[in-house]
Amino acid sequence: MRRHWFYILLSLAERDRHGSGIMRDVLELTDGELKLWPVTLYGTLEELAEQGLIRALDHAPAGTENDSARNRWFRITAAGKRSLAAEVTRLETTVRVATRRLARGDAS
Amino acid sequence: MNLTTLLYRVALRSLPRSLVDDYGDEMEELLHRELRRARDTGGVLAVAVTVVTAFADVARRAAYEHWRRRGRPRTQPKRKHMPSFVPDLRFAIRSSTRQVGATALIVGTLALAVAANTAVFALVDAVFFRPLPYPQASRLADLNEQAPKWNLEFVGITYYDFDQWQRNARVFDGMAVWDGISENVSNGSTASRLEGQQVSYAMAGVLGITPVLGRTFTKDEYVVHGPNVVMLGYGLWQSRFAGARDVIGKTLRLNSVPYTIVGVLPRNVTLTEPTEFWLPLQLDPQNERGNYSYEGVARLKPGVTLEQARRDLFRVQEPIWRQFDSTRTVSPRIMPLRDRFVADYKTIGAALGIGVILVLVIACANIAGAMLARSIFRRREMGIRVALGASKWRVARQLLTEALLLSVVASVIGTVVGRLAIGLVTSGISDIPPWLSLAVDTRAVVFSALIVAVTALLFGLAPALQFHQQDLTSSLVGGTRTAGSVPQRRMLNALVVAEIALAAVLLAGGGLIVRAYANLRDVDPGFQPDGVASFSLSLPNAKYPDGRYKRRFYDRLVERIQHLPGVTHAGIVTCAPFSCHWGSFYTAEGAAPTSTNAEDPVVLTRIASADYFAAMGIKLLRGRFFMPNEGSHTGLRPAVINDLLAKRLWPNVDDPVGKRFIFRGDTSQRDWLTVVGVVKDVRHYGLAQPMRPGMYMSTTVIDSANDFDRFAVVAKTAGDPTSLFPALRATVRELDPELPLYNVKTMRAALEESMASRRAIALWLSAFAAIALALAIGGIYAVLSYVVGRRRHEIGIRMALGAQRGQVLALVVRQGLRLVSIGLILGVPAAYLGSRLLSSLLVGISGRDPLIYVGVILVLLATGVLAALVPARRAARVAPSIALGEGN
Repeated sequence: MRRHWFYILLSLAERDRHGSGIMRDVLELTDGELKLWPVTLYGTLEELAEQGLIRALDHAPAGTENDSARNRWFRITAAGKRSLAAEVTRLETTVRVATRRLARGDAS
Repeated sequence: MNLTTLLYRVALRSLPRSLVDDYGDEMEELLHRELRRARDTGGVLAVAVTVVTAFADVARRAAYEHWRRRGRPRTQPKRKHMPSFVPDLRFAIRSSTRQVGATALIVGTLALAVAANTAVFALVDAVFFRPLPYPQASRLADLNEQAPKWNLEFVGITYYDFDQWQRNARVFDGMAVWDGISENVSNGSTASRLEGQQVSYAMAGVLGITPVLGRTFTKDEYVVHGPNVVMLGYGLWQSRFAGARDVIGKTLRLNSVPYTIVGVLPRNVTLTEPTEFWLPLQLDPQNERGNYSYEGVARLKPGVTLEQARRDLFRVQEPIWRQFDSTRTVSPRIMPLRDRFVADYKTIGAALGIGVILVLVIACANIAGAMLARSIFRRREMGIRVALGASKWRVARQLLTEALLLSVVASVIGTVVGRLAIGLVTSGISDIPPWLSLAVDTRAVVFSALIVAVTALLFGLAPALQFHQQDLTSSLVGGTRTAGSVPQRRMLNALVVAEIALAAVLLAGGGLIVRAYANLRDVDPGFQPDGVASFSLSLPNAKYPDGRYKRRFYDRLVERIQHLPGVTHAGIVTCAPFSCHWGSFYTAEGAAPTSTNAEDPVVLTRIASADYFAAMGIKLLRGRFFMPNEGSHTGLRPAVINDLLAKRLWPNVDDPVGKRFIFRGDTSQRDWLTVVGVVKDVRHYGLAQPMRPGMYMSTTVIDSANDFDRFAVVAKTAGDPTSLFPALRATVRELDPELPLYNVKTMRAALEESMASRRAIALWLSAFAAIALALAIGGIYAVLSYVVGRRRHEIGIRMALGAQRGQVLALVVRQGLRLVSIGLILGVPAAYLGSRLLSSLLVGISGRDPLIYVGVILVLLATGVLAALVPARRAARVAPSIALGEGN
C-alpha cells in the first residue's frame, strides 16, 4: 500500500475528518515528514473513494463549526478498515522478519 | 483575488474536470491556509517555497489523474447555476473539434477572408474615413485654379491671385499657398537632397500647427530679399541635429547659402510631399501674375459650406477678370482637402473594398452551405434534443454559438495575418500621400469585431432559422432518408446561386482590370526604356550664378558621360518622362487671331540637349533632331515639336519643318523658334494619360539662369543600365563633389513605377477573383455531394430499373449546371453594372468588353461541370441493390 494511502486511512480510522483535517493529522502522524499538498490530497481521497476504501459524507457531522461544515467530510468504510488492518499486519510481519535478519547479521 | 490564486485556479484547470468540479474550491482554500501559515511563521521565503511546491504538486499529480481516468467516458459537467451560454460554448467546442478537417476548412476560409478585409480596411479607412492629422480638418479646403480651355484641371495658383483672395475674401479664417522645392545640402564629404516647401504667411495657422521649438516665420520675413530663415521638419531635426534643443539660431546651408534656423515643425505637417524644411515665400505679388506655380490650402470659417466659399472666391476674382482676363479663362477652384489628394485612390480603395467584402460574403455563403448541409444530417440529433425538452430557441442558439465560436477563432487568426499583409497591399502603391496613415488601431479592431458579428450571423442564422421553423419531431420518425426538407434544399441552392453570382461579379471585375493593365503594358511609351540610366541634378545659384556657368557644367558632364565605357548616347532634359511639368503657350508665325472661346491647350515645354533623343530612342517623324552647338553662333533657335503641336499650330500643313513660332508672352517679337523636327512624343504623364501638345528647345540657345535649375541626365548603354550608376556618380563627383544626385533610377524602373498602382490593384482583384472561384467550386461540390448522398436510394432505384451510368452522371451534372446558370443570370448583369465603378481604371478597354463576359460565363460553366463531376461519378457508382437495402 502506498504511503499516503496508508496514512489517510490511518487518520480516518480514528474519526471522520475533512480534507484539511486529514492533512494536518497526517503531518502530525508522520512527525512533519509527509505533507499532503492539495491536489495530491484530494486526488488520493477521490481515488480511495473509487476503490471503496473510504466514502464522502453527504453532510458534515453534527456539531462541527461553520467553516469546516462547508467542506466535504470523509469516513473510512469496512473495506477500508480491512485493508488497513491487512497492511498493518503486513508491516508487522515485515518488521519482525527484518529485525530477525538484522539480529542474525549482527551475531555472525 | 490575488495573482497567486488566479494562477493556481488556472493551473487547476489542467486537472480532469470531475476532480476540479468536486474539490477545486477546497484545494484553493487549503492553499490559502498554507500560505497564511507560511507567512506567519517563515516570512517571504517560506511563502515562496509554498507557492512553488503547490504548483509542483499540481503538475505532478495532474498527469497521474489523467492517466488514472484513461478510457473512461468524460463526465458531464456538473449542473451549476451557470449562464447557458457556457454549456453552449462547450458543446460547440466539442462538436467542432470532433470534425477537425471540416472545422479547419471553415476556419481557414473565413480567416483568409477576414485577413483580406483587415488589410484592405487599412487602405479604405485611410482614403475615405480617417480624419487628416490637423485640428478641425473638416474645415480645411484645397485651393487651386482651373482652366478648361487650357485642358488643365489644376493649373496652380498665381501669387497675384492668391494675394487678392487673401485680402478680400470673407468666409475664410485663413488661406495659404505653398510650393515644393528641393535643396542640396552638403556636409563636406557627402551631398544629399532635402525636400521641403516654400510657404506663404499663415500656413501654420491655416493648418492649425504650432512649432515644437522656436517660432514660425514673422510677417516681415515674407518680403522680397527678406532674411534667409528656415524652419526644420521634425524628421530633419531628429536625423541631422539629433533633436538638440539649442538648434534655434544655428545655420543650415541650403544650396550653399546659409539659412538661420528659427523653429522646428511638429510631426505630420506634410501635405503631399515630404516636409524636411519650410522656407518663407518671398515674393512681390505684382510681379507674379503669369506664374501658376502654387498649391493652396484654406481654413473655412465655422459653418461655411464649400459652395459659399466658392461664391466668395468668384466674387473676389471678378476684378482680376475685368482687369486681366476678360474671357475668364482661369477661375478659382475649391474642394475638400482630402478629395484633392486621395482622388486617385478612391476608385482603387472602393474597388478593393467592394471586392474584399464580396469575398467575405462568398466565404460566409460557402460556410453557411456547409453548416446547413451538416446540420441536415444532425437533424435527428436536434429532434431528439427538442423531444427531450430543449426549446427550439435553445437549439437555434446552440447553432449560433457554434457559428460565433468558429468566426471568433477565424477572425483572430485573420486579423493577425491581415495586419501583416497591410504592407503587401500598399507596397504597390508607391505615391500614396504620407499623411494617409495606414496604422492599425482601435478602428481596425472594431472593424474586425464587426466582421466577426456579421459573419457569425450570416452563416449561423440560416441553419438556425431552419431549425426554428421546422417540425422537428417529424425528423425522429423519418430518419435520414427523407431528411432535407424542401425549404432546406432551396436555401442550400440559393446560397450556391449567390456564390456563383458574386463570383461572376468578381471575375468580371478582375478580368477587366487585368486586361486593362495588359493593354496598358502594350501602350508605346514613346521611348525605349531599356538600357537607359537616369538621375537628376540641381545647380545652386550661389555657385553657378548664371546660365553660362551652368551650361558649361552640363556640356562637360554630358561629354564625359558620353565617353564612359559602355555608354552609347547621353543627354539632358528639363523634365524626363513621368516627372515634372512646365507649360507655356505659343503662336505660329502669321497665324490668324483665334476666337476667344477656342480651346487653347497648354504646351508641355522642355529643354533638351542634342543627344537626348538618341539616348531615349524617341521616334523622329520628320526633319531631324538638334545638332551639337546648333544656333549658338547663327542665332537660329531650333525647336523639335511633337505631332500634336504640329497639328495645332499648322492644322493644314503636312510638313511644318522650317516653320516659325513664338512664345506668346514674347512681346518683342524677336526670339522666333524654328521647327527642325517633328517627333512622336513620349507619354509624359503616364501611359494611361492622354498626351499634350509638346515641344523641345535646345540647350544651346538658353541663357537665363533659372531655366537651367534642374536637369535630368540620361545615359544609354547596350548592357545593364544599373551598372552605369557608380561611374555616373564618380563623374559628377569629379566635376563638383558637393552636388547630390537624386531620382537615380533606370527609365525601365520609372516606367514600371508609373504603373505600380494599377499592377497592385490588378494583382489584388485577380487574387480575390481566384479565391471567389475556388470557394464557388467548393460550394457547388458540397451541395451536389449532399444531394447525391440524399438521393442514393432514388438513384439506386433508377439503376435497378435500367438507367445507364451515363444518364445518372448527366443527371447530377445537369443539376450543377442549373445552379451555375441561375447564378450567371443574376451575376453577369450585376457585374456589368459594377464595371462602371472601375471605368476610371479601364484604359484601352470598355467596361462592356464582351470577351470578358463570355470568358466569365465559360469559366463558371466549366467550374460547374468540374465541381459536379466527383459527386456525379459517386452517384453513377451507386449499386442498384441500394434500392433494396436500407437506403442509408
